[in-house]
Amino acid sequence: MRLLLVEDDVMVASGMKLGLTDAGHTVDWVGSAERAEQALERDSFDLAIVDIGLPGIDGLELTRRLRGRGLVMPVLILTARDALHDRVQGLDLGADDYMLKPFELPELLARLRALLRRSQAATSAVLALGPLEMDTAQRRASLSGQPMELGPREWTVLEYLLLQAPKPAAKDKMLAALTGWDKEITPNAIEVYVSRLRAKLEPSGVALRSIRGFGYRLELMAPAAHAPAD
Amino acid sequence: MRQRTDGATSEGLIWGLQRRLLVMLFLPLGLVGMVSVFFHYQSAGTAALQQDQELLRLVPLLADSVVVRQGRPPPPDDLDAESGLVLLLAPPVQEFLREREGFAAYGVMDGSGRLLLGAAWLPAVLPSTEGAEFLSVVEGGITYRVVAQRSATAAGELIVMLADGSDARQHWLETVWIRVLLPNLVLLLGAAAAVAWAVSRALRPLIDLKEAVERRSPRDLSPLDTDSAPAEVRPLVVSLNRLFALVNDQTEVQRRFVADAAHQLRTPLAGLQAQVEAWAQAARTLQATDALGLRVDQVLRLRDATRRTSQLANQLLALSRADSVSADAQPMEQVDLQELCENILALYLDAAADKHMDLGLEAQPAQTRGHAWLLRELLINVVDNAVKYTPSGGRITLRCGAEPVGSGDSAWIEVEDDGPGIACDEQGRVLQRFYRLPGTQAEGNGLGLAIADEIARVHRTQLQLDVGAMGHGLKVRVAFAAPQPPRTRTR
Repeated sequence: MRLLLVEDDVMVASGMKLGLTDAGHTVDWVGSAERAEQALERDSFDLAIVDIGLPGIDGLELTRRLRGRGLVMPVLILTARDALHDRVQGLDLGADDYMLKPFELPELLARLRALLRRSQAATSAVLALGPLEMDTAQRRASLSGQPMELGPREWTVLEYLLLQAPKPAAKDKMLAALTGWDKEITPNAIEVYVSRLRAKLEPSGVALRSIRGFGYRLELMAPAAHAPAD
Repeated sequence: MRQRTDGATSEGLIWGLQRRLLVMLFLPLGLVGMVSVFFHYQSAGTAALQQDQELLRLVPLLADSVVVRQGRPPPPDDLDAESGLVLLLAPPVQEFLREREGFAAYGVMDGSGRLLLGAAWLPAVLPSTEGAEFLSVVEGGITYRVVAQRSATAAGELIVMLADGSDARQHWLETVWIRVLLPNLVLLLGAAAAVAWAVSRALRPLIDLKEAVERRSPRDLSPLDTDSAPAEVRPLVVSLNRLFALVNDQTEVQRRFVADAAHQLRTPLAGLQAQVEAWAQAARTLQATDALGLRVDQVLRLRDATRRTSQLANQLLALSRADSVSADAQPMEQVDLQELCENILALYLDAAADKHMDLGLEAQPAQTRGHAWLLRELLINVVDNAVKYTPSGGRITLRCGAEPVGSGDSAWIEVEDDGPGIACDEQGRVLQRFYRLPGTQAEGNGLGLAIADEIARVHRTQLQLDVGAMGHGLKVRVAFAAPQPPRTRTR
């Protein structure tokens, strides 16, 4: 994914660029809002990471202008300021999420994944998580490139889970989504579909975790053993 | 325990003053009593003299009471008892005898000491002169004062005697008791009651003041009401208020300093962490013993230390913000605790999965009034603690709910783990800032529970630490007070 990083602190920016690049993103880094606007005129980005405390035009104003120009890409605000009104203001002005500096790279990556997935789901019919892909327009699912056979209710459950991922999906909300076209569905029935889906997904490294008292979450299994500690 | 000592102190204050006032009253009152007893004692001699005079006054009347039986003039030598002497007691004598029934006697004797009339036990007294003769006689355990006098009667000159057994001193003692000691005693008792009443009443403003001071805590050093204090202690109240203001200013300066320091720390920390995180990310694909100039395990340690430092800066800031909320009294809002628990659950799923933990939720609809972002911070700190200190494979449960209490529902949140738990004697200390349990392995700053408790206090409640349901582990509970109709503050 192509990301625009707007950050004036060289230490933070170079570290982030390194980490994001390593995670497989293409990162364009600019140090001011003016330069960011120039970059946005030139190229298109999948997501922007904007620091609030920029010299001159600040990050909130940049976000406002960016939305004013009709850009719909997700914007993640970075802030060392944490007064409550900053957060609310940031989200009101069109930012999609915010992170407090300093932050941990894995969390930043997770937030980016969630934002990208959401914007993807809004703009394209294909939902994806690792080897799992669901084309909601053509109602075709594939796992590691192989077509997946799914019953209509299994489809609904998996689609809901995939839409929520990497967040957990609440069981009662899944139930509500299913009752739309099947009134007799019970919580136990959901468990049946979940266990069927689990059997289909797990061989390909996609886990369907049960979360006690809440629901389920679709996640990628950790790649086997070669990563140290993290 | 605390309540009890408090009560004892205020009672002590009242008692101390009461005792002092009573002693100060008793001493002069006792002195006055003693002086009056002394004067009465002096008057005892007078009383005895008065008794003699009374007897003496009655003797002629007794002599006049001796009459000769009618129609038979007595032969001069026949002075037999049956010879016709009769007593027709004069009214004063009669009265005297009646008043002292059993303690008085009379006697009439002839010149040779032979008893003609009256009590047989009277000794024969033969006064040689016309003057009265006094003596004391003991008869039947009673001391009688006896007067004898030669008097001219209708039957010629006889010796007339009167005895008074009512002890003048005894009499006097009774008088003293009734007239002096009893009034003094009543006076003292009355004074004691009045002192008790007056002291507790006069000290009421002082006790109110004491309680108002005791209600103050480092978190609430609002000034005391000077108007309700009595004029004598008003300067004290004013000084106390000045002290409170000083401490408040000092605290505020300190809080600002911590907030500023934490805030300033975060910018360089963000840079440091971004660099180290990227380094650590790059090191993921390498073996622990490979080198990036630095060994991979050293890079990871560096990253962990940086994360910890960043967390510390964030927590310090959170703590100072919780402090400032209680100081600034920001308005509270309705907070959905169920939603909050679900959000925190989602936030910690990855961390729990890394440690193969079962992180679960048992949430009932529950709402309370509070500061949403602070409550979030509270729950994050408690759950973070649980995830950090519970060993791999453990079980952590977030709970929330509401119980009907009085007019409204009292909401609560709870986080239970099956980790090592906290021993009872450590439970107070783990809420202190920077306190870490001895022998703790996991990395931490010892601020998590302190922040959670601070936030609970902002919400007028506190962290309850308990043993988990299975007899081990830790259960942290925060129960919020049921919403009340808006209180009108008295001050």
